[in-house]
Amino acid sequence: MIVEDKSKLRYVSKDIPRKDGVEKVTGSAVYVADMVLPGMLYAKVVKSPYAYARIKSINTSEAEKIPGVRAVITGKELNYKVGLYVVDKDILAKDFARYQGEPVAAVAADSELIAEMACEKIKVEYEELEPVMDPREALKPDAPLVHPDLGNYSYMKGVFQPRPKTNIPHVQKIRHGDIEKGFKEADLVVETSFYNPPVQHVALETHVAITQALPGNKVLIYTSAQSPFTVRSLFSVCFGIPLENIRVKVPYVGGGFGGKAGIHLEPLTYVLSKKAGGRPVKLMMTREEEFNTIPSRQGLYSDFKTGVTKDGKITALEANYYWDAGAYADYGVNVGRAGAYAGAGPYEVPNCKIDSYIVYTNKVFGTAYRGFGHLEVLWGIERNMDIVARKLGMDPVEFRMKNVLRQGAYTITGEKITRSHGHVYDCLDAVAKDIKWSGYKSEEEREKEKKTGKVRGKGVALLHKAPAMPTFTSTAIILKFNENGSVDLMTSLTDYGQGTYTALAQIAAEILKMPIERINVPWDSDTSFTPYDWQTVASKGAFMSGNATIAAAEDALRQIKEIAAQVLKCDVADLVCEDEKVYLIHNPDEYLEYKQIVNGYVYPDGTSIGGPVIGRGRYIAQGLTNLDPETGQGLPALDWTYGAHGAEIEIDIETGEIHVIRLASAFDVGQTLNEGLARGQIIGGVIQGLGSALTEEFKFSKDGKFLNASFVDYKILTAKDLPDSMEQYLIENPQHDGPFGARGVAEHPMISVPSVIGNALYDALGIDYFRLPLTSERIYFGIKSGKKEYHD
Amino acid sequence: MIKPVAYFKPGSLKEAVEALQTENAWPLAGGTDLLVNMRNGVEHPDLLVDIKGLEELNVFEVDGKIIIGGNINLNFIIDDARLRKVCPVLGQSALTVATYQLRNRATLVGNICNASPAADMAPALYVMEAEVVVSGPQGERHVPINEFITGVKKTSLKKGEVVLRVEIPNPKVGKTAFLKKQRYRGHDLATVNVAGIANPDTGTLRVCIGACAVTPVLLKGTDELYKSIKDVDELADKVSELALQSISPIDDVRSSAEYRRDMTAVYVKRLVRTICS
Amino acid sequence: MKEYTKELNITVKVNGREYHESVPANMTLLQFLRNKLLLTGTKEGCGIGECGACTVVMNGKTVTSCLVLAAEADGAEIRTIEGEAKGEKLTALQESFIKYHGEQCGFCTPGMIMSAQNLLDRNPKPTREEIVEAISGNLCRCTGYEPIIKAIEAVAEKGNR
Ligand code: FES
Ligand code: FES
Repeated sequence: MIVEDKSKLRYVSKDIPRKDGVEKVTGSAVYVADMVLPGMLYAKVVKSPYAYARIKSINTSEAEKIPGVRAVITGKELNYKVGLYVVDKDILAKDFARYQGEPVAAVAADSELIAEMACEKIKVEYEELEPVMDPREALKPDAPLVHPDLGNYSYMKGVFQPRPKTNIPHVQKIRHGDIEKGFKEADLVVETSFYNPPVQHVALETHVAITQALPGNKVLIYTSAQSPFTVRSLFSVCFGIPLENIRVKVPYVGGGFGGKAGIHLEPLTYVLSKKAGGRPVKLMMTREEEFNTIPSRQGLYSDFKTGVTKDGKITALEANYYWDAGAYADYGVNVGRAGAYAGAGPYEVPNCKIDSYIVYTNKVFGTAYRGFGHLEVLWGIERNMDIVARKLGMDPVEFRMKNVLRQGAYTITGEKITRSHGHVYDCLDAVAKDIKWSGYKSEEEREKEKKTGKVRGKGVALLHKAPAMPTFTSTAIILKFNENGSVDLMTSLTDYGQGTYTALAQIAAEILKMPIERINVPWDSDTSFTPYDWQTVASKGAFMSGNATIAAAEDALRQIKEIAAQVLKCDVADLVCEDEKVYLIHNPDEYLEYKQIVNGYVYPDGTSIGGPVIGRGRYIAQGLTNLDPETGQGLPALDWTYGAHGAEIEIDIETGEIHVIRLASAFDVGQTLNEGLARGQIIGGVIQGLGSALTEEFKFSKDGKFLNASFVDYKILTAKDLPDSMEQYLIENPQHDGPFGARGVAEHPMISVPSVIGNALYDALGIDYFRLPLTSERIYFGIKSGKKEYHD
Repeated sequence: MIKPVAYFKPGSLKEAVEALQTENAWPLAGGTDLLVNMRNGVEHPDLLVDIKGLEELNVFEVDGKIIIGGNINLNFIIDDARLRKVCPVLGQSALTVATYQLRNRATLVGNICNASPAADMAPALYVMEAEVVVSGPQGERHVPINEFITGVKKTSLKKGEVVLRVEIPNPKVGKTAFLKKQRYRGHDLATVNVAGIANPDTGTLRVCIGACAVTPVLLKGTDELYKSIKDVDELADKVSELALQSISPIDDVRSSAEYRRDMTAVYVKRLVRTICS
Repeated sequence: MKEYTKELNITVKVNGREYHESVPANMTLLQFLRNKLLLTGTKEGCGIGECGACTVVMNGKTVTSCLVLAAEADGAEIRTIEGEAKGEKLTALQESFIKYHGEQCGFCTPGMIMSAQNLLDRNPKPTREEIVEAISGNLCRCTGYEPIIKAIEAVAEKGNR
């Protein structure tokens, strides 16, 4: 559905304050972190101090003796496996602890303090084993196996292919065109390699769940999660409990960014609750545990070989991705899959070969993180584009313009770009103009500037991303009417800050022709009450649930009109709706108010017709296919959102410090649903991406110990670290099947922020950097090395 | 979490000193280091002696001597207009410590008692030749700052002693500065921090470097350089050479030793250029 | 030798109301507010003074309540997010946060508002630099801070409250 006349929009596109604003600014929004249930116990976990160890014995007797301890549990007594795509994880480590920070035992007690003191009394005997910390090492034939039993695990067939007796839970292949022919056609072949370290989401509310094992094989779960239905289904599979017996409730969530997709603390709190006689058990991660127990964003090594003609057309791209999945596959395998099918960037690459290896190591495991692999692959892709352009002697903006996907082109999975796709070149154009790009500075200019101690540089970088989700992803919206005609919009999508609930309310108000104030979106998703939604991930919420909202609103209007037609003695086709009223089109004085209809219409004589109106709308992803396991060909993408960043930075050449002067970002959003929320989403994402660019990384000792698992040494940006100025361009080439033409733009802002900084860094210094983050120390040593390429 | 502990808030210094002599008793002032260490299981005091009620620790004077009591927090030091005039380097240093909220609690004395090699208040106190006034069972004693801090997280405080105040007996006239290299602009511990004072009339130049050895390093021989070298760039180079001979930085999670070394050179030069021209 | 106690009686005024409570000496002010008084608007994001989610105003000054013992707050006056709005009437700053999208997930918001309001109380017309200094101890992972700064600037321009 696209908008013919934007001037007619009343709510959609407008800057409308978020629905949950008052609750949040008054501190009255209740998060799971804040909740206490009657009889509730508090849990704490014992964690492995080693990256890889055999668990020889666990003695819990001292802990059990402590007054107030209600349950102590170890992996031995738990015969369950959990996993999203590859079922490889125990609720508590059994036999082997596979990363430092992995829970090996847990306690539920009357207070957090008692639970913590009991944990300190649990004695675990380990035999330390040689860990494998680097995915490239883990691929070697003689590498230690993180999962010797990989061949026996169950997994999602048709999508993933674990390789037994290796450290590889999945390899995603893309084969498009004829790679050899492509390189033969090339006048120039360029090879580059890049690296991103693992990082964390750092939602301000750490992971927390409260679970109660109820009689009758029932379970009640309150969790700070993105996806109540996925928690429920994975939980059901893990314990063999029927879905209808499990109720998952999600109240306000203090940030997610992908880290709260999937399932985390729910199974452990359940087994503790069971052991404690059915009392509810709460487990909240400390910030330190959030870093080294809860999953992160995977590290990535990427290698590119690019073939181009003299006039700047890409003829071939070969890429190898080595993802550092850590100890468990979790979302990592799917991140590696998405990274592969998006692994050539938003460019037309006629001949492409990609192998994306997801590799187990003894690190805290990887999961979904805003961007879902795209920030990682695009760090390399967009740096590579600049390097190739330079080797060709071509301007990097011009080189990109020559190769970007345009209508009629094919992606590397064989998807044809149509009029419904966005325009990546509009985004590039917008940011290049914004930063007044006029080509790289010359070596003389650089040398002259260096004498002042500060050098400036500019750069651009592109990005694209589509939702990574199953072909059959679906969602539903229910609109129920209150007696006064106002509406409750019911969804199981979680709004943990994106503003989706507000956008959905705007859509409902627009279609229902009623004031936005009269549309209520109750917080708390509840699998027993709110309709199915697969997950709140992948930037598909506004798109899919938006379409479902349109359908639900139209369904409600149809019901309203059917009743009105009877009362007003006309055909449904003779009716129009406006201002919560339904009119005769030829006689506006004849109308009924919604509130007269939505709970049954009562005639003056007391007889009545109709009944409560409930609007129901659904949406299921259209036309997606699985990817061919050998070639990766197929249609994985519901909607591609394209974007670009342009940056100007300044480097202190004595210290290597970067100062960001300007960061301009453009996205082809199709149609803006809420301008204020969209800008907010972009600014927040850009700053998160700037963290990945400048400061964020996990550090490990040689023997695999996590060295910076706290805010003291893992730095996310503060208000002091902002660019001098930022700009956001909302470009609107509509997506024909999007709600009002809209596309998702939740994850995209952080993608390619590191790339644009890296590209600007080259312009400033004439040095190529290949590893993130671009700390002042790294930049300084690059300058000190005197080299044009700095690989450390 | 913070483990069970006893708490006592003495009304007099005598009571405080007595309480501090009990087994495993710790003084509690701002608590911004101690409570973190307790939560993290690094320290396990049995008794916290909250010294915030002690009048003796609330002293603050800037006329003649500078006297900063044990309870004076860092925001107070930043905001006090008189101190800013007499000894701006203290406020400059304090402004780089932690966050606004923490500086409402964190004290200058606490910063040096924690004795982190990277303590941001230490270099300024070294160059100002501050003294630490300690009270204990044997009465009061004055300890020069460089004898007070003895190692990583080590001080010369003895059992039962409490720091009453820091004194700067002769607030030197001269140009001062404090510079700090950190990983980003937000609150961070120092990779390197440097403070200095230069007085052309007396020919004194004092430079102290933090985070590059087990204790802050006060350079020796700077006066001679200052007196003999007139060109400020040359002086900056020479002092930075001296600095590199005097420090012994290590690799840690915040920085490599080499980067610390190179940044020491840069920051010392910048410092010297600021205060000597 | 004197016996020192692990449990104390304290009197604290929170948002204008006086509370007399018995608390263990190891209880933080944050735990006291959240677990004893059930004022859960104040959040914990790290427990070590680094994130500012637990910021409250104690005797007119902002503190990270995770690093203050409840015992230390004996006799103190505390202001928390729950005391900002007067009934249905939001403060100008709260209104401004909503208008400029200063909150997303909302978890940092209570601490952020306490820091910002305290700044405006001390300094009704702060510069951008002063705003940044005052809130840089409050980490926010969602908003990128810029909308928050705008929200505070807007109040500063119009006059506080
Ligand atoms: S919880 Fe107190 S500063 Fe983070
Ligand atoms: S709004 Fe989510 S952390 Fe600030």
